[in-house]
Amino acid sequence: MRIKSLLIANRGEIAVRINETAKRLKIKTIGIKTAKEPNALYLRLVDDVIDFSHTLDEIPEFLDIERIIEAALQCKADAIHPGYGFLAENPYFARRCEEEKIIFVGPSALAIFKMGNKTIAKQIAQRYDVPLLQGSQRTVKNPKEAEDIAEKIGYPVILKAAAGGGGRGMRIVEKASMMEKMFRMAANESEKAFNDSSLFIEKYVRNPRHIEFQIMGDRHGNYIHLGERECSIQRKHQKLIEESPSFALDEKLRTEMGEAAIRIAKAVYYHSVGTVEFLLDADKNFFFMEMNTRIQVEHPVTEMVTGIDLIEWQLRIAEGQKLTLKQQDIKLTGWAIECRINAEDVQAGFSPNLGIVEKVSFPKGKNIRMDTGITDYSVVTPYFDSMVAKLIVHAETRKKAIATANAALKKIWIRGIKTTIPFCLAVMNHKKFKKGDFNTSFIDKDMEKLYYNEEADEMLAAYVAAFDFAAELETNRSAKPDFERGKNISPWVLNKRLKSL
Amino acid sequence: MKLLKSKRKNEPEFIAVTPNEKKYIIRNPFGEDLKINGQHHDVKIYEDEEGFTVIEFKNKKYLAEITDKSQNKYTVLLNGLSYSFTIESPISYRRRKYLGKYKQTNRLEVIEAPMPGKIVELLVEEHSRVKEGEAILILEAMKMQNEIMTQVSGKIHKIHVKAGDSVAKDEVLMEIER
Repeated sequence: MRIKSLLIANRGEIAVRINETAKRLKIKTIGIKTAKEPNALYLRLVDDVIDFSHTLDEIPEFLDIERIIEAALQCKADAIHPGYGFLAENPYFARRCEEEKIIFVGPSALAIFKMGNKTIAKQIAQRYDVPLLQGSQRTVKNPKEAEDIAEKIGYPVILKAAAGGGGRGMRIVEKASMMEKMFRMAANESEKAFNDSSLFIEKYVRNPRHIEFQIMGDRHGNYIHLGERECSIQRKHQKLIEESPSFALDEKLRTEMGEAAIRIAKAVYYHSVGTVEFLLDADKNFFFMEMNTRIQVEHPVTEMVTGIDLIEWQLRIAEGQKLTLKQQDIKLTGWAIECRINAEDVQAGFSPNLGIVEKVSFPKGKNIRMDTGITDYSVVTPYFDSMVAKLIVHAETRKKAIATANAALKKIWIRGIKTTIPFCLAVMNHKKFKKGDFNTSFIDKDMEKLYYNEEADEMLAAYVAAFDFAAELETNRSAKPDFERGKNISPWVLNKRLKSL
Repeated sequence: MKLLKSKRKNEPEFIAVTPNEKKYIIRNPFGEDLKINGQHHDVKIYEDEEGFTVIEFKNKKYLAEITDKSQNKYTVLLNGLSYSFTIESPISYRRRKYLGKYKQTNRLEVIEAPMPGKIVELLVEEHSRVKEGEAILILEAMKMQNEIMTQVSGKIHKIHVKAGDSVAKDEVLMEIER
């Protein structure tokens, strides 16, 4: 079935991105307006807007399954694109779409469910010969049980909250004597954070790289992979810079990992675009981590090196079309890097920097792509995540891509909020990053300074302040007579007064 | 803006002082004869057609913005990073140094919430010692957990919040005794 109209159940840059491809494919687009962001950029670009801003509801707009379904039915949308985050990996939402005969632009509800469940996903990986980190199949109850498993798989091990994520409730255990203490700490922390103290235990890989594979499958049994993305530059498990290809892979390993990713996708009859994430250790052993059953933030780097529009294929596959691309058609050309521009203050521990974007100016060029959801006077609110833009560059070599990113980052001018641009610049100028010598501990271990500045910067800032101060003084002086302003007391008199204090 | 051509014999001089007491002595801020710390510099400030404040220095362009200003205290955002200064005249600078000697050393530093959010966890207790840059509590905002760090070393004097509290921007979280 052809998709003639599409409800975009998302916001920000990804709503803009989906809208762009949909329009090119002559699909009518519908956006959702919320009270939190009534003037957002994506709302100006879509063909039609559904207004969710009047009713006040406990459930956030983009998470309100029934309301979105109802809206789609009301405006007779053929399909819903969930973007990433929100409902993109909610099997119940996908099922509700199936029930209402609305095309869900993504895989089946069952595939989302299986991959979303850690235990099932691991069992599938194991059955299809995809390497896994050794560990407990179920949750461990007490330190003794954890010790027994650790003895079997060897130290170091990591204890993880079964309910968790985001680094909370995690403890690395180096040796048996530490187990009891670490177990208690991890259990306590996960009890506090998730109301559930159950833990998993897993072999701990020191300083791994995070490598993920983009895959595509259709409803007719065709599967391909589109190479890897290197996403090791992370802070607290948040990706900040991604690239494709990865410096760490050769053709042989790429084929091997790509085929493993395809096996996982096949196992769940995956029909959409998706991502299989792996850890790669220093000896180039790879281990399955999880599958993301959606389009990802960092998909543009794959688009740049393959020349393939992933959103287009996602829509086509959702229509039931055949995946006509063959594995041998996929060539990675050149090098692409993505820098996430977040509204965060790197000088204050990456704390969110909210406010009004008074003015923005983005660089242009044939190797430069900006995906963004902001424009002049956009508001960065506390309700949504802090990413405001992505810079993606493409060049023949990695070295040239870094140079292009460096130059382009300096041309992104934003007034009104602070962003992570100085951080991105610091990475682009880091010796080890340039050499390709890094892993997931890069930010913690290799970066002495988390932002980039030049020697003259402070001096120039001092000049700006002095200039403004002097200018103000000058206008005050000429505008009105100073009667009793402190300034007009003779400095000599003032000094004398102070000395007699 | 009218240029301040030196009718006065003395060229105007300003001192920008950083929080670490580093000095930038700026002479003739409007004039062609700009000197910073005694050195000639060719710096241009202007507003471009898009409305950005631009600094041109050594054939490079820098984006500048004054983000905070109260009397002589300035915060300037240059190329995305904040720099704070106090602007003094040579005389007020001398006075400042003089007064500095009598400054109380045992001051209370107030830690305020940098953004609205919810306190997830307190990482310190009253009367415990903290070092500059140490995380003192976790504040959840924008679906992210943010570690709030102290800019000063000292002893926690008083904690005004507890885990689970919602706080407004600039609400007082703790006081630290330097």
